[in-house]
Amino acid sequence: MPDNNYKRPKYLNLLHIRLPIGGMVSILHRVSGVLLIMAMPFGFRLLQQSLGSPESFAQIMALLRSLPVRALLLLFTALLTHHFLAGVRHLLLDLDIGISRSGGQLGAWLVLVGVVGVVLIAGGCLFS
Amino acid sequence: MKTMKPRGSGSAHSGLGEWLLQRLSALYLAGFALWLVAQFAIAASMDYVSWKAWMTTGGVRLAFALFFLSMLVHGWVGMRSVFLDYLKPLWMRSVMQFLLALGLLALALWAAEILLVDVRA
Repeated sequence: MPDNNYKRPKYLNLLHIRLPIGGMVSILHRVSGVLLIMAMPFGFRLLQQSLGSPESFAQIMALLRSLPVRALLLLFTALLTHHFLAGVRHLLLDLDIGISRSGGQLGAWLVLVGVVGVVLIAGGCLFS
Repeated sequence: MKTMKPRGSGSAHSGLGEWLLQRLSALYLAGFALWLVAQFAIAASMDYVSWKAWMTTGGVRLAFALFFLSMLVHGWVGMRSVFLDYLKPLWMRSVMQFLLALGLLALALWAAEILLVDVRA
């Protein structure tokens, strides 16, 4: 048995791997999913506080209007939009839509363009 | 697709159930997200009384209950595949899945409290 396989180079170093655009969108889908789960307790807290009393509601609204929280809301919007659109792409791939090499690349680009578009609109609403 | 379970595979199963749960919950979450954005967009004003009145509506509470359920299921399946892919040692994976289960269970109780207690208080 030749030992060619034994000598082949292995590029498991993440810094040496250059993902194609589809892989990039796919890994970001995972990253955004994990971050969105970590954001859940904060969302629960906001929802609970907002329902407590008129005073706690006003506190939450003031908090949401503060600049750092608005920046976090924009980040949240970017993560959610990416997870949403990349998820739709995966569902379409299940249906064999956009499954070809070029179709997969086009879909991945559409996801990124969609995220940028939604973030621009949300940014306009949040910081106007 | 081969759906028949091989004999003698112990606790291993095809994962088809998780696959389906992930997609069904994804569909609900997507619909819910679009509905919520639309609701906020058409809301005339945002004050405590109207916000609370809206959240107290039976349909809205049901929609939120299904949303919490879908999110916990979706999070469980998603995080599980992340752990399966990146955590090689069995003990590490088991510990993380246990902590995840505890965390999601706590969130489920919290969601129930919000929908059953806070909304009505």
